[in-house]
Amino acid sequence: MTTVVIQEARARVTVGIFADMADASTAAPPSGESAEAALELLAEMSPDLRGAAILGSTGEVLAATGEERERWGEDVAALFAAADEAEGVPVEQVHIATEQGEVFAIRNAGLAAVSVTDRFALASLMLFDLRSTLRQLTTPNFSSPERGQPRKGDR
Amino acid sequence: MPAKPHRILLDRVSVYADEAAAFMRRRRVARRPFARLYYPHGRSADHAQDSRAGAELFVAAGRLIEVAGKKQKR
Repeated sequence: MTTVVIQEARARVTVGIFADMADASTAAPPSGESAEAALELLAEMSPDLRGAAILGSTGEVLAATGEERERWGEDVAALFAAADEAEGVPVEQVHIATEQGEVFAIRNAGLAAVSVTDRFALASLMLFDLRSTLRQLTTPNFSSPERGQPRKGDR
Repeated sequence: MPAKPHRILLDRVSVYADEAAAFMRRRRVARRPFARLYYPHGRSADHAQDSRAGAELFVAAGRLIEVAGKKQKR
């Protein structure tokens, strides 16, 4: 297809840009505390969010909403297994919309983040928030902003 | 010659009905479930619900929606 050709061309052009960048997956794994803080920030940023989880490189649950942490781990593993099996290639992002809600999942720098939202959540924003959450976790000295302190752009 | 009053009323009702039908049609299209996978280098692929891969994805998504539960009131 034409779009695939364009995207592959873009990849060929941009690959040189990232060649010299350090691999974020080589950084130390984030602690459960920082993952909880990142998840809290994600929930604050996303009004459509019902639940979310952040998983480590071996599939262990670093942080999750609700009580069923273990189930998050199992179900996220099943989701990525099904997604990887679809074309036999590891996926980067997953977006599934059902009548009951929407599921977003993303893998980056050895971590995975999954969120469940209401129907008609803005997909690009949700995926951006998930990606920035994982990026913050791989950034050294990440800390949650003080509660009650308005962030830039808040009204 | 001005239109008869009942004709104006009928026209207005049919315009509203057309608007409602268009809204329902757009809503039905927007509500259609889908499973979209994104691969490295920006490639993406849709999987239909009746395909084998799509069915597995929808089952996995259903479990996650279940575990997330309802939205917490803030």
